[in-house]
Amino acid sequence: MPVLKGKELRVVGFLCNWCSYGGADTAGVGRFSQPTDLRIIRVPCSGRVDPMFVVKALLGGADGVLVSGCHPRDCHYSQGNFYARRRLETLKTFLPALGIDPDRFQYTWVSASEGQRWKNVVSTFVEKVHQLGHAPRIEEAAPYLPLAEKGDTLPAPLRPLAWPAAGTLTASLEQLREKIRAALPELDCVIGWQQGFDALHATPLFMRKPEDVDKLTWGPLNVHNLATYLPQFKNRKVGVVVKGCDSRSVIELLQEKLVEPDNVRVFGMACEGVVDVERVRKAMEPAEGAACTDVAPAAVAVEGDGLAFEGDTPVRLKLADVVAEKCRTCDTPVPLLGDVVEGNASAPAGPGPDAPPSLEALDAMTPEQRRGFWRAQMDRCLRCYACRNACPMCVCRDHCIAESRDPHWTTQEGNVREKLQFQVIHALHLAGRCTECGECQRACPVNIPVLALKQWMNRSVLTLFDYRAGVDVNAVPPLLAFAVEEKNIKEHGL
Amino acid sequence: MNLAYYPGCSGLGTSREYERSTRAACTALGVKLTDIPDWSCCGSTPAHALEHALSGALSARNLVGAAKVGCDTVATPCPSCLSNLKTARHRMADDGFRAKVGRLLDQPAEKLADLPDVQSVLETLVTRVGLDAIRAKVRQPLAGLRVAPYYGCIMTRPADVMRFDDPENPTSMDDLLTALGAEVVPFPYKVECCGASYGVTRRDIVARLSGRLLGAARDAGAHAVVVACPLCQMNLDLRQTQVEWPGGRAVDMPVFYFTQLLGRALGVPDAELGLEQLCVDPAIAFRRAAQAVAARQAEEAALAAKAAAKAAQAKQAASANEGGRA
Amino acid sequence: MRIGVFVCHCGSNIGGTVDVPGVAQVARAYPDVVFSSDTMYACSEPGQAAIVDAIREHALDGVVVASCTPRMHEPTFRRTVERAGLNRYMFEMANIREHVSWIGKDREANSNKAAELVRMAVEKLRLNAPLYPKSFDVTKRVLVIGGGVAGIQAALDCADGGIEVVLVERESTIGGKMAKLDKTFPTVDCSSCILGPKMVDVSQHPNIRLYAHAEVEKIGGYVGNFKVDVRRKATYVDWELCTGCGLCMEKCPSKKSPDAFNEHVGVTTSINIPFPQAIPKKAIIDPTSCRQFVKGKCGVCAKVCPTGAIRYDMEDQVVTEEVGAIITATGYDLFDYTRYAEYGGGRYPDVITSLQYERLLSASGPTGGHVKRPSDGKEPKTVVFIQCVGSRDRSVDRPYCSGFCCMYTAKQAVLTKDHIPDSRSYVFYMDIRANGKMYEEFTRRAMEEYGVQYVRGRVSMIVPQGDKYLVRGVDTLLGEQVEVPADLVVLAVGAESSHGAPQLAEKLRISYDNYGFFMESHCKLRPVETNTAGVYLAGACQGPKDIPSSVGQGSAAAAKVLGLFSRGRLESDPQISQVDVRRCVGCGKCITTCPYGAIEWMELRGEMKARVIETVCQGCGICTVTCPQGAIQLQHFTDNQILAEVNALCLS
Repeated sequence: MPVLKGKELRVVGFLCNWCSYGGADTAGVGRFSQPTDLRIIRVPCSGRVDPMFVVKALLGGADGVLVSGCHPRDCHYSQGNFYARRRLETLKTFLPALGIDPDRFQYTWVSASEGQRWKNVVSTFVEKVHQLGHAPRIEEAAPYLPLAEKGDTLPAPLRPLAWPAAGTLTASLEQLREKIRAALPELDCVIGWQQGFDALHATPLFMRKPEDVDKLTWGPLNVHNLATYLPQFKNRKVGVVVKGCDSRSVIELLQEKLVEPDNVRVFGMACEGVVDVERVRKAMEPAEGAACTDVAPAAVAVEGDGLAFEGDTPVRLKLADVVAEKCRTCDTPVPLLGDVVEGNASAPAGPGPDAPPSLEALDAMTPEQRRGFWRAQMDRCLRCYACRNACPMCVCRDHCIAESRDPHWTTQEGNVREKLQFQVIHALHLAGRCTECGECQRACPVNIPVLALKQWMNRSVLTLFDYRAGVDVNAVPPLLAFAVEEKNIKEHGL
Repeated sequence: MNLAYYPGCSGLGTSREYERSTRAACTALGVKLTDIPDWSCCGSTPAHALEHALSGALSARNLVGAAKVGCDTVATPCPSCLSNLKTARHRMADDGFRAKVGRLLDQPAEKLADLPDVQSVLETLVTRVGLDAIRAKVRQPLAGLRVAPYYGCIMTRPADVMRFDDPENPTSMDDLLTALGAEVVPFPYKVECCGASYGVTRRDIVARLSGRLLGAARDAGAHAVVVACPLCQMNLDLRQTQVEWPGGRAVDMPVFYFTQLLGRALGVPDAELGLEQLCVDPAIAFRRAAQAVAARQAEEAALAAKAAAKAAQAKQAASANEGGRA
Repeated sequence: MRIGVFVCHCGSNIGGTVDVPGVAQVARAYPDVVFSSDTMYACSEPGQAAIVDAIREHALDGVVVASCTPRMHEPTFRRTVERAGLNRYMFEMANIREHVSWIGKDREANSNKAAELVRMAVEKLRLNAPLYPKSFDVTKRVLVIGGGVAGIQAALDCADGGIEVVLVERESTIGGKMAKLDKTFPTVDCSSCILGPKMVDVSQHPNIRLYAHAEVEKIGGYVGNFKVDVRRKATYVDWELCTGCGLCMEKCPSKKSPDAFNEHVGVTTSINIPFPQAIPKKAIIDPTSCRQFVKGKCGVCAKVCPTGAIRYDMEDQVVTEEVGAIITATGYDLFDYTRYAEYGGGRYPDVITSLQYERLLSASGPTGGHVKRPSDGKEPKTVVFIQCVGSRDRSVDRPYCSGFCCMYTAKQAVLTKDHIPDSRSYVFYMDIRANGKMYEEFTRRAMEEYGVQYVRGRVSMIVPQGDKYLVRGVDTLLGEQVEVPADLVVLAVGAESSHGAPQLAEKLRISYDNYGFFMESHCKLRPVETNTAGVYLAGACQGPKDIPSSVGQGSAAAAKVLGLFSRGRLESDPQISQVDVRRCVGCGKCITTCPYGAIEWMELRGEMKARVIETVCQGCGICTVTCPQGAIQLQHFTDNQILAEVNALCLS
């Protein structure tokens, strides 16, 4: 429905039945005049307000969204507003990532007797929305795709990435294989990596017999996060080989009881970074003007801080130039749990950058640029869901909310809005759970930096809840819990 | 801890001995006091009774001065100065007030964090130096001396500004005096008013209130009253002959500054403690203390003699039995 | 669907600033709307009749009424559509009065807003489904936690009403604070005389099972089907054998055991029966002071006990009871007056609490009812009472009034005169709160007949002076400071929540306020219910109150329980969450976040899924937001239904 032209903007309110809706009623009884823009949707509890409702409204054309519930401690359902507070504060810090002005979304607490307060809340918020004006639609943003893509001006990695000498590496790998062979009899299988279909790729390996273990490789080609397979092995004992980043995924799965600790054995070694295959391809592309063919070298060898490619044209690339973005800021080179072979992980050279590269790039953009950026990127998105399928924390598989009719959150239309909505759903569902393994980004066939959204979300979670996912098996993800007094969430003055 | 010292105006005037003994005791304890360059009056009661911003400015000037010489804490012996300095700092947390005060100062404070903390010398000694450290340095314990510690009305109040000790029943001076070897008597008037500056305009009030304090000390069996405030000291000591003693029984009750007793216990010579400035002769208290010690020693000796005699008797009886049997 | 829209004028309340007929006309064109009209007063009899007629005439299967707030008339109109044969959940309301017509006068904007709100309601209604309440069995037994007068009354009323009662009391005897009182205001009735018979009734009632010296450890389940673990703490005496003869008390050599019943005025023996009318009248050993426990040798009580009831090796025992409802009557505790350092902070032996004084006055107390100063045992001639110690005082975080102290102080002053005819009593007060029946008359008697000197003002300081205490206060009516040299000072300490109340509240899943008092459903209209189905409150645990009010609430809670059980089976509210097992992946997140523990694991064909316990779910919807697949949905507020409203507003 179009707004009353010239007079109103579209402001949507979600009010809890017991307190805030009552407060709005009290304001009405007291005849406190308010601007007419607000349209109220009644919910039983502020804890019922899914942050995605807010996003849907904002992406769908709302100029402002207001959520109001009972004052913390007074929730009719005792805990609903504690959850609401966490979820909505997280959302508020996340909206700027999409180029949405966070002032367009406010959440507050109004009790049933606070008619005057309700009037003030509505008047102040609607006035603010009018000041901000019509919300720019992401579909109409000027596309913005900065050319500074991968590889050009990247900061130095956190650690001097250099794999140990071939001999040392082989010895450690043999130790690892021994451990796996010893454990095999009790396990259904052990998942690892093997040399893949060409020299540039490794592929997952499912070891069931001791001979299979001989095929286990360890090196910068082991890009896959094998923890993704674990939830499917429910009720069976399985082993998995992990890098440091993968181990955090395993911890997160254990934390959420998506895998049973008795049913999983973890093996691993220190990792010095894995390649971003796209970067390697780009680095090995023939000179400009020549035919662009699929480049696959005959063989790849690790030499300290570089990779040597044998092929038509032997190439040596510095690891630091082709390593995956996530490895630049990695601070967990050694797996955090499991049977770990002592490796030679290098220590961080110094404090890392404030933000990983993609996130930094996003930070540097203006809100308008961000809208244009996501518009352009979503235009390219195929909606193949590879990012979702590669994510170890996405266990919903066929029941994914983005593909369901009941509930019907997004349509299957291939437009920017629907595709962005899916990305936001993914990021919100991963809040407090994403270990930044980067598989989502790696899996994307058109190289959309989807990891940046999760990194932004993780930064919010870290700031608000001092929490990092995948570190402590006994921790509870912050959005599945609450605190009566929140240290880092301050009243917004509304 | 970089300690600035704010003596206050009476420290250089009527309570000279408090000043001297404080400095001497701090020296003996190894506490370094940095004087605030060009310090000025805090404004005391006249300023804050007239205009809060003026009082704030007069105090803040000294606090800024202390910060400028690198000090993070200002210690002052006078409770009135303490009250003004601390209240000013407390109020300066409000941006509006800080700006208002800033307009009156040549060198305003930008933020609250620029201003040092304010403490009484008593608080500094008890919390920063520590009773254990002080106890270790005692050379001449105040053996036998029974004291009534009198804190005065403003040292611990208002509680949310002063934030030191219990506002109704403080014990830090009690603990300090005990650490010095003295015996603290139960004194229910610890924080009751002495009459303050009514000593000038309404002497009858001081006569009644201070009289009550001294009477209570007398009834509790104290040899001396110990104070931490120049005005209290003046009312109790200087005007001791003018007060109304309850029951009519006046006694000589010396009134010490706690720093004087502290200095004495640390072995500082009397001359440096300004004891000669006290109106009621302090020697009376020390004599009483000595008498108490002597009396206790005599009592112990008598008990020991009795016990020895009893033991001897028992021994004799036992050996007699032995002998008898043999 | 065939939806009917009814837009109400509400006289001029709505019609005055909203073009009601216009809105009805616009609504006629909304999807699935086959009938639309405006009506003068939808909630009136003719108004409702018109709705019923329209439903029948036009074969409507859903109704939208645009009028006042649903918080007022949703139940009304739900019943209306039910009368016409529709399920009550096929009904939506648009609030165009409190949220539109009453808050602005711009007719164009208001009418437009009303039309949009009706559209939102229609879009939601299109996704509504009929919901049917289910009924379930109820265990007709009730748990009463707390054996004070409120708990006793509740237990007796329930038991008389024919249901089994399990009464759990933390102390070794029931009676609560009332058992410690000497006399009660305003009749100066002997407390044990009026409470005693009720206590005996409790012990003899065939429907009441009493667990004394026991505490509730765990509560699981939901209304109608609670499962409660009760820890019966070791008394070291077999109560089946103990006859309450008291011989053990006479012979016990350890005579300095803390005497909690007498509020620590004096001491008692390690093995003791708290007071002569204790129910159960059984002995209990305090292991912290008993020589047998502490030193390993004594055993005198075991030797002299005629029935051999002593059991030094007794252990705690946990029993499980199944009940259908719970009444919590855990009472109150007294404010810790030592926080007032100006009143001595606990250092002055003759400055005591009102309850300690009550024990001195009581004939079964440590002094046999002779009022004696704790310090020297002398009879006091001047007694000063100080009111509002720990009440009405923000500086100690107790801003509330405890409600009964003015009355008990007057009573104690009266009794003082009775006990010591040549005594003089003073009461320092701020206000006199004597609001019950005969209360004001009673306080007047204290002042006029008994010569109690009431001084309006607070006491700033109590100073020991010789063997007296100088009480310094102010008389505001005279405008002067006063000093009273007292022999004994009695502090009217305020009430606070019983210790351990917040922890119990968490087990019960009920709320409590800043001070630990349990939260009632509605402070005026539902004082004995909580927001948790099946859990009721009675007495001072809900807020300080006197005996008549506590007894009244005890009966009220019992009435609620009897009403709950009267139907045999209970109906559950269908506006709860439901799990679509096809979509549930068994991640368990909903179970973690449910505040009521209303979701449980269920095995379905070898896979673990979530299942909602329909009788416990309160319908908050936290689970629906938590579930990543949207497999669990709060009925009547499903994602699709709310999205319908959002999309109606935003997707143009």
